[in-house]
Amino acid sequence: MLKAKDRLGIIFFPAYDWAISPTHPEREERLLYTQDQLREEGIFDIDGITEHKPDIALPEDVTRVHFLIPNVVAVTTESHLISAGGAIRAARLVMEGTTEKAFALVRPPGHHAMKVVHGNRGFCNINIEAIMIEHIREHYGQKRIAVVDTDCHHGDGTQDIYWHDPNTLFISMHQDGRTLYPGTGFIEESGGPNARNRTINIPLPPETCDEGFISVIDNVVLPILADFKPDLIVNSAGQDNHYSDPITNMKFTARGYALLNRKLNPNIAVLEGGYSIQGALPYVNCGIALAMAGLDFDNLREPDYDEARLRQAGSVTERIKQVNDKVLERYFKPLRSGQFEPGSFVTREKNIFYDTDMIREHQRESVMACEKCAGLLVIETTSTINDLSVCIEIPIGACDHCRDEGLSILDEARRRGHYSHIKFINRRDKIYSS
Amino acid sequence: MRIGLDVGGTHTDAVLVGTEGLVSIAKVETDRDNLLASVLSAFQQILNDADPKKVEAVTLSTTLTTNVLLEGKAEEVGVIVSSGPGIDPLLHRAGSHFFAVDGSIDHRGEERRPLNKRQLEDAVAEFRGQGIRAYAVVTKFSTRNPSHELLIESAIGREADIITAGHRVSGGLNFPRRINTAYFNSAVWRTFNDFAYAVAEGICGMGLSMPINILKADGGTMTFASSRNLPVQSILSGPAASIMGVAALCRIGGDAIILDIGGTSTDIAIFAGGSPLIEPEGISLYGRPTLVRSLRTKSIAVGGDSVLRAGNGTVTIGPDRLGPCMASGGSRPALIDAFNMVCEIAFGDVEASRRGISELAMESGRSAAEIAAIAVEKSVEAIATAVRHMLDELNERPVYTIHELLHTDKIVPSGLIIIGGPAQAFSRRLSQAFGLEAIVPKVHSVANAVGAALTRTTMDIELFADTERGVLLVPRLSVNRTIDRNYSGADARRDAEQYLLASVGAAESADAQVIEESSFNMMQGPRLAGRNIRVRSQIKPGLIPAYVNGVKASC
Repeated sequence: MLKAKDRLGIIFFPAYDWAISPTHPEREERLLYTQDQLREEGIFDIDGITEHKPDIALPEDVTRVHFLIPNVVAVTTESHLISAGGAIRAARLVMEGTTEKAFALVRPPGHHAMKVVHGNRGFCNINIEAIMIEHIREHYGQKRIAVVDTDCHHGDGTQDIYWHDPNTLFISMHQDGRTLYPGTGFIEESGGPNARNRTINIPLPPETCDEGFISVIDNVVLPILADFKPDLIVNSAGQDNHYSDPITNMKFTARGYALLNRKLNPNIAVLEGGYSIQGALPYVNCGIALAMAGLDFDNLREPDYDEARLRQAGSVTERIKQVNDKVLERYFKPLRSGQFEPGSFVTREKNIFYDTDMIREHQRESVMACEKCAGLLVIETTSTINDLSVCIEIPIGACDHCRDEGLSILDEARRRGHYSHIKFINRRDKIYSS
Repeated sequence: MRIGLDVGGTHTDAVLVGTEGLVSIAKVETDRDNLLASVLSAFQQILNDADPKKVEAVTLSTTLTTNVLLEGKAEEVGVIVSSGPGIDPLLHRAGSHFFAVDGSIDHRGEERRPLNKRQLEDAVAEFRGQGIRAYAVVTKFSTRNPSHELLIESAIGREADIITAGHRVSGGLNFPRRINTAYFNSAVWRTFNDFAYAVAEGICGMGLSMPINILKADGGTMTFASSRNLPVQSILSGPAASIMGVAALCRIGGDAIILDIGGTSTDIAIFAGGSPLIEPEGISLYGRPTLVRSLRTKSIAVGGDSVLRAGNGTVTIGPDRLGPCMASGGSRPALIDAFNMVCEIAFGDVEASRRGISELAMESGRSAAEIAAIAVEKSVEAIATAVRHMLDELNERPVYTIHELLHTDKIVPSGLIIIGGPAQAFSRRLSQAFGLEAIVPKVHSVANAVGAALTRTTMDIELFADTERGVLLVPRLSVNRTIDRNYSGADARRDAEQYLLASVGAAESADAQVIEESSFNMMQGPRLAGRNIRVRSQIKPGLIPAYVNGVKASC
């Protein structure tokens, strides 16, 4: 009988009664064939692999992370709370020592959902990894956490949420933004003034194969992780780098995904995108489950696997090497420029497009440059469906100055009364209110 | 009238039950080397005072197949599998004659690589050369497309006495379990059939001609004819007989806990909404999971004769038995002696119990009263913890739709029924532990046979339809037909019910139920390519209503 080397809990929740629309890629049967494959392989009978039901995330799990405009009910449904709850269940399994590892095979995904949410973008409403991570920090103490996003699309939502957090390392490897949605994730995007180099983007050329992905893991991701020394590694396990995916241009295989997972060795994996529901997901998910359990996956292959077609072109290999070198250089030999005066606000303007819901948003985001904490965050936002609103976050472990300043800005906003919504997250005193 | 016959390890019990209640009882010692003689002798006795013509049916519960495996008398089985990509099929090896042949069918039931005929011929030739006459053939996703199993079956040909094809064992998915189930089925087939024939002949010789049913592990019966092909389903039917016996005698309404406390173990079963719960996939035999449906029971190593050991100021219970408890003349103190000591009961030789516990106490540095109290406390806690754990598992079982996640009712037991020799001793403490009134029914020693006599036929099927491929399969019933593009979920539901009822004889129509059904649109880009439809339906274990009032005991 097969026995897992590492006990693995799988939260399998396919939401068979939920779709964005009947013909949308994010629809009912997305995980149907994955379930068939996992069952037929007998994955859940392997000694040490267990199946678990998701939790349902509470509204406070969401409002701890996001500024939801106008409110939780307007931008989330039960499906989102269950998907986030699946990730939370995965975290609980690991944090409580029930299993060594956990894989949340849940939908809908979350990595395009940003700090401020007006609606759905990139099939995502709320960021299920961020909700899970902040649930961990709230209930099990502050942790250094690394998120490695292996979805083919840049994890722009997760990047946005952790842009200013020095305790979260966000690494995204994805198809180059010049060739794919959401069009971001360039090497130069590397974190806010208080979290320099805590965001790492690795844009890869189209047609990257197993060889290329593995070289990025070996040469860039693992050395940076070794330097950051996280307490926990989370894999945003999107599966649309697969050669059969209908909306991307990469050539990754199920065995490649399994090998990547074995090398990365994440504590928790969370499904993100991946819409080749017959040709890729059944095999990729099976591979990830086997790899996380420390089992052999040498015989795992897609039925139409063709080694010759999946060999990487020399020009692609060359391009990846250039990207790797550039990322490593920026991380290990950072330039000493762009220092900001502590106690002053650093501001950027952002235009955000919600492709699923066709909403346009404009943001003015200001963060207090601070040497003692992640810095007070103030965002003014307007969108095609919501008038000017303000969002204020006092971060976990905020210094007195950042907290006091945040409270006074909140008072001022309330007094002047010209915002249509005022959103407030106070992680230091655990107050998450509107 | 109906006859129930339960072949146990020590006794073979038979009952004749009429609508007014028990008509007669027979009890003979089981001759393990000649089960047939035991069965026929019990029959003879029971029919002494009955008119054979009024007997509607006989149900037989036997440990025969279990014993075959337990005693290592299983027949050598030639196992031929084909898996395609995935977990290495050699890791699922069952028995010592195992071949994996190249070929692949995917989750949709599409052939992705043809079966390698050469390898198949080699495997068949080798097994024939070894004189093998029992086979199991299993290919991955055969319940979505049995064609490769059928090819292997015909390659083996008529020289085989039994070929168990995986798709006929169960319509569900799970390749390793299908291998194990098909293997076990072929391994016990010959012994079971020899026995079943002999019983049938013997009964016939007594001038009887009623149908013979065989009890299954899920608490229901199968016809004699279907048992000849799937004897594996008769495995471990013992606990099922006793649970259905309790159900018959106590008429359980809502959610309830059933505890069967024996000499060295306690079996736990849970009823939900008046029906016993079934294992979601199947029972495990000798550490190998199968697709044999069975009642969901859990066994823990705590029983009346569990030996007590003391040391370090505490006491351990079992898991072994070293003879009977001292109250029954044994030489080592056991759990029942502790219950005697704390005056929960006064069973047998109470003085002997006290003496035994006192000796134990001397080794531990505590008083005899303390040692006994600890043993009682620990044993009750062990049982209560196991029950709670089982309930948690049931209530935490995965669901796959938002509707079920939000609206599935939890199982909250409102009844506690305890049977078995030491039941009375445990009842007060267990009642406290669960906050429920404990019922210890006056079940006579033939409850198992009553359960066998009164339980009805069960069956479960899975229907799979793919309108893009235009196929409909009910693997267990060898149904494989074409359908048109308009075939719908409603059509599938109706067809599943008809196939199910036809498979057991339409008489029991009231209780066909759909357990799971789904109908998914399959998209090809933006185009609707077809529907993927699955229906699981069953006739769940239950009692034949006309007889239940007659046998009802004081519960």
